[in-house]
Amino acid sequence: MTGAAAFLRRLLRNRLAAAGLILLVLVVLLAAAAPLLPLADPDATAPVRRLAPPFSEGAWLGTDTLGRDILSRLIWGTRLSLAVGISASLLAALLGSVVGLVAGYAGGRTDALLMRGIDTLMAFPYLLLALAIVAALGPGLLNALYAVVAVNIPFFARNVRGAAAGLRNREFVDAARLSGMGGLRILLSEVLPNVMPVIVITLSTTIGWMILETAGLSFLGLGSQPPQADLGSMLGEGRRALINAPHVTAVPGVMVFLIVMSMNLVGDGVRDAIDPRLRSGLPARPSAATRVARATASVPGAAVPAGAAPGEPASGALLAVSDLRTAFEGPSGPVDAVKGVSFHVMPGECLGIIGESGSGKSVTALSIARLVASPPGVVRGGTVRFNGADLLALPAGPLQRLRGGRIAYVFQDPLTTLHPLMRVGAQVTEAIRAHAPVPAAEAGRRTIELFAAVKLPDPASMAQAFPHELSGGQRQRVSIAMALANDPDLIIADEPTTALDVTVQAEILDLLDALRRSRRLAMIFISHDFGVIARICDRVAVMHRGEIVETGEARQILARPRHPYTRRLIAAVPVLGRAREILRASERAEELP
Amino acid sequence: MAAYALGRILALVPVLFGLSLIVFLIMALIPGDPALAILGPYATPENVARINRDLGLDRSLPVQYLSWLGNVLSGDLGRSYSLNRPVLDEVAERFSATLILAGTALLLASVLGLLAGIVSAVRQFGLADKLVTLAVLVGISLPSFWLGLLLILLFAVRWRLLPASGMYAIYGGGDLADLLRHLVLPAVTLAIVAAGVIARLTRSAMLEVLRQDFVRTARAKGLGEGRVILGHALRAAMVGVIPVIGIQAGFVLGGAVYIETVFQWPGIGRMLVDAIAKRDVLLVQGGVLVVATCYVLFNLAADLLQRLLDPRIAP
Amino acid sequence: MPEIRAALGAILLAAGLAVAAPAAAQVPDDVLVVGQIAEPASLDPAVSTATNDFRILINLYEGLVRYRPGTLEVEPALAESWTLSEDGLTYEFRLRQGVRFHDGTPLDAAAVKFNFERMLDKDHPAAATGPFPLAFFFSSVDRVEAVDPRTVRFTLKERFAPFLSNLAYPTGLLVSPAAVTKRGKEFGRNPVGTGPFRFAEWQGGQQVTVERNPDYWGDPAKLQAVVFRPVADANTRAAEMLSGGIDVMVEVPPDTLSQFRDGDGFRIHEQAGPHLWFLILNTREGPLKDRRVRQAVNYAIDKRAIAENILQGTAIPAKGPMAPAFQWAFDPTLEGYPHDPDRARALLKEAGAEGARLTFYVAEGGSGMLDPLAMGTAIQADLATVGLDVRIETYEWNTFLAHVNPGLEGKADMAEMAWMTNDPDTLPYLTLRTEAQPQNGGFNSGYYSNPELDHILERGRRSSDRAERAELYRQAQRIIVEDAPWAFVAHWKQNAVTTAAVQGFALQPSFFLLLDDVTKK
Repeated sequence: MTGAAAFLRRLLRNRLAAAGLILLVLVVLLAAAAPLLPLADPDATAPVRRLAPPFSEGAWLGTDTLGRDILSRLIWGTRLSLAVGISASLLAALLGSVVGLVAGYAGGRTDALLMRGIDTLMAFPYLLLALAIVAALGPGLLNALYAVVAVNIPFFARNVRGAAAGLRNREFVDAARLSGMGGLRILLSEVLPNVMPVIVITLSTTIGWMILETAGLSFLGLGSQPPQADLGSMLGEGRRALINAPHVTAVPGVMVFLIVMSMNLVGDGVRDAIDPRLRSGLPARPSAATRVARATASVPGAAVPAGAAPGEPASGALLAVSDLRTAFEGPSGPVDAVKGVSFHVMPGECLGIIGESGSGKSVTALSIARLVASPPGVVRGGTVRFNGADLLALPAGPLQRLRGGRIAYVFQDPLTTLHPLMRVGAQVTEAIRAHAPVPAAEAGRRTIELFAAVKLPDPASMAQAFPHELSGGQRQRVSIAMALANDPDLIIADEPTTALDVTVQAEILDLLDALRRSRRLAMIFISHDFGVIARICDRVAVMHRGEIVETGEARQILARPRHPYTRRLIAAVPVLGRAREILRASERAEELP
Repeated sequence: MAAYALGRILALVPVLFGLSLIVFLIMALIPGDPALAILGPYATPENVARINRDLGLDRSLPVQYLSWLGNVLSGDLGRSYSLNRPVLDEVAERFSATLILAGTALLLASVLGLLAGIVSAVRQFGLADKLVTLAVLVGISLPSFWLGLLLILLFAVRWRLLPASGMYAIYGGGDLADLLRHLVLPAVTLAIVAAGVIARLTRSAMLEVLRQDFVRTARAKGLGEGRVILGHALRAAMVGVIPVIGIQAGFVLGGAVYIETVFQWPGIGRMLVDAIAKRDVLLVQGGVLVVATCYVLFNLAADLLQRLLDPRIAP
Repeated sequence: MPEIRAALGAILLAAGLAVAAPAAAQVPDDVLVVGQIAEPASLDPAVSTATNDFRILINLYEGLVRYRPGTLEVEPALAESWTLSEDGLTYEFRLRQGVRFHDGTPLDAAAVKFNFERMLDKDHPAAATGPFPLAFFFSSVDRVEAVDPRTVRFTLKERFAPFLSNLAYPTGLLVSPAAVTKRGKEFGRNPVGTGPFRFAEWQGGQQVTVERNPDYWGDPAKLQAVVFRPVADANTRAAEMLSGGIDVMVEVPPDTLSQFRDGDGFRIHEQAGPHLWFLILNTREGPLKDRRVRQAVNYAIDKRAIAENILQGTAIPAKGPMAPAFQWAFDPTLEGYPHDPDRARALLKEAGAEGARLTFYVAEGGSGMLDPLAMGTAIQADLATVGLDVRIETYEWNTFLAHVNPGLEGKADMAEMAWMTNDPDTLPYLTLRTEAQPQNGGFNSGYYSNPELDHILERGRRSSDRAERAELYRQAQRIIVEDAPWAFVAHWKQNAVTTAAVQGFALQPSFFLLLDDVTKK
């Protein structure tokens, strides 16, 4: 019950969907109230006053080719058409989706068999089907429903199958399968919710078509039998007077349009409301750069002169972040995720930012090159100075040149952060050519060099692979190669090893560390794992609930954490003897230079 | 992939066989008779029997079907009694007209639908999005006979810019420019509905994709917004949109009856309707076989394209 | 997004180019373009059955006789004269001299013999060019003989008064034997006749072109060519007319007619023909078994409203079973059934059929059916006002015929029907005789039976004296109206619109379209 209420609340939050719902409810109420309204007899003919224009006396919307009151026929007709259109759509959606889901999910022979059946149905002449139905069941509107349903099954089946086939080998489906879930449960609990948007859209786009379709069938006798009105037959009957009395078709036409529009608006709303990823707030596509709305007065502490935060070196830093505030806009106003964070990175230095999930560390990292999804993200205050220039004030062009040029990112899960449909080599080549006007061949050669540098085996053939063909570690090496493509000054690595297993994790860390040292890169390394941070970072900033609670030399903090939260983080390093290993690692780090 | 395509094409054989059998049975079982179509009110049982004998319709159903099947296998689709000419000639003529119309409409629908979908996804909730959404909804809720006539009245009657109907001018036509002039209105009318469906699915797929991590990666690489949207997001979104285009191909191919009627386009959809009304079973069979083959090939092309785009789908 | 803008620009540019492309050459002044309702099925007159095809055929071919323009009276055509033997069984035709088919084949008695034997003799070498659905028009012919090259003799099995009228019907048009032999089954798409126009070209679904026959025996056609364009959609046909794409438009839908009435630059042509739109009433069972109920139905239907409002004056109300176009046989004194709901109610009360339920078969279209759905609905409403509860079942034309032709028993009480005929004999003889009931292979789907009428109709078809026939048919009309086996509703007034430039155009009661005298200014 509360689930339904929450769903409705989400739906109504979308103003367009709410408008659509209101319109739809109005239409439905109007249709439902037809017997109660003071309408003229919808079937009473009066040939003498046929084709009266709208606003005629006694006929607000005029009369049709037999002199019947269009308003009355419209309302009674809407009643019938809604019932037929909706039930036909739902039935077609149900049957088509079942076929599509099973075919898409099962794949192989089942898929081939089902889809050949759908091919047969689709290629089957619709009229013949309709005639067969008339022969078997007789004429009538209700029987038209079967024909319309049969014809629309392929639309749903093929659309749904396409979506379901794409999901078949997705990781969450694999996971569900490994966890021993049955096929039916996976279909219903994992696949169905993900293809629901496709079903909803197809449903909302076909419903109007179904209403129109009953008009198309009426010349076979598959339509409402005279004198009963439905929107389709009204359109069809008005057709012969289309040139001299367009209102006869326009009136039902507008009604069909209103129904289609309201269904579509509601459909969009429903799709967004059921999409689990969109539950927080309005769905919106992220823009190119995080919106910056620095309101100096409203944010306490923002009055501190930029770049001169206490305890920070004013000059010489490659990157200086001061008093950064990043928020997410929610239904009840913006919620700060980063609350006035300041730190700096010297050239060639590695800064670790550590904190548990939700501490704001990733948002901080993404805020630097303004990659926080926006909406809902917004930078509300502070400065990010890179080589002295405030990135938050940079126009789109220079910012774009900086991204992947001077500042490069390595993200957490390379399976989702690499483009799944592009060869990995091409993705790196593209990064190179985005910043330097080199010929494709030259960029390709450099890609292979980079692959060699990140120690990918057989770099030339590796470049031809797609992300899903590589192991997790290999994919992350590709990401690192991509980050290195334009010899950046700063690499921001956002939990680059979290998605990898332990041995691979170590290899990647070693690689990053070695590359950083050999190429004299500065790095911001973000992790929730003290062990990882201590292994490669010079300094550490500990983040907790959007703020930096402690910052200092990595070894020092590890040895003598001052903030209780830091102590908790260190204690959370789980494995016995791990602390010793961490210590050793930091000693080694000290010996190296 | 070649093996897969070959397999699909081979699968066409049972599909066509099954289709022809069902079509044949339904044509035999529904009320009505070729003789009724020929004779109209003059259809006395005596006349009907004579015509059925002349047409070979007095033989038993299995014999009729098998003799038809035998002829088809030797490349003879039979003779249409309602048009008094070989089915193959008629189907070939009509089909090329349909292909021109449907191909153009599909191209137009894909380009318009994709553009509209992309624009409205990129400008989500903006003015452009609202305008596109409105246009799309109008497009999918307009009866095509209405839109078609409206276009004729505006472009042919009022402004005299384009011909009202037909495929070629009566005199001095026949060249490509003439064909294009005749093609504009029916192709646009036919494309509108398909474009609407494609646009809506493109918008939804784009919105889905634009929220994904790899789009952020593309931005982090320093790619321009155009390249992020067209090069990365659209490419991923197309995987879901292409099968829809394939289905629209089927719709545009076989379902264009109204448009072919309104614009008097000599296409196969209208031919099939007439053939069914006249119970011209051989012509129906010929038309269905061609439409089905073409439909299956269109969808195969869509599936292959999808596989080409998405290497994750196992061949 | 510059890419998107560029693509949009390209589309607009392409659209602009298509629109701006030079318009195709204008249709010359001596070429007439006729907007037809459909593509012809065949241009072989022995094969064809549709009025739509006849409009082309009648310009390509001629028969031995023809209808005198403006009437349904028979006059000489390829036969200069003819004689009928005393016993009424032998017709001898004297052929016009020096007439040749378009392919040069001379029109002689052998050619005439070939034509009729092709249709009537199963073993004729050209019999495979059929089927010939209307061959039964000549089923009374026993044999055809070529007496000499210019004389052909028809011997009938029995006296058959409509014989000459049937010869003037398109089924009696003469084809070139040489062309039929050469083309075989393809003759229907490569027609060769003797008419004022000869066949030029047939583009499937697009146009049939005929051109002036320079060697025509009579006055040559004034037009250089006529193009028949099928434009199936009535609205599109009107739009083509308005945009100048066609010069002549036939079968203008009632509601579209007003477009042309208002505008100048167009001319409207109307011509009533031998057509009847009626309801077959089931006289065997149900409420309509009672003659009073059938009469009540006739009184209840507002025929004037149907003809003048729903059909916008494209039809006239029917008073009986015969069209006024059969001037010599029509009975102008007939009162018929004026619209009188009170009378209908009284009759229903008398018959105890108040509130009876009736099943009514309505067609969705069909040849000569005018606007069957609207007319059916209006009739339903008219019958409702006198207390009859009518339930409509609609069917597509072919299914409709399959349901109606075998008889209405056990299925329906009423069914719509329409006929176009060429002789007063045809309709009642085929549809109202006891012998014509469905079980005997006729079209009397309502099972009407009246021995007196049977007798009159038999006499009418055997008599060769027209005055006698006229009197018989007047008697028949009175009987049929009184018994009301049908509800008589309307006679169609065929119409056409031409541009003002078209001169010498006239519609014929035969529904043909004679174009040899037409010019375009």
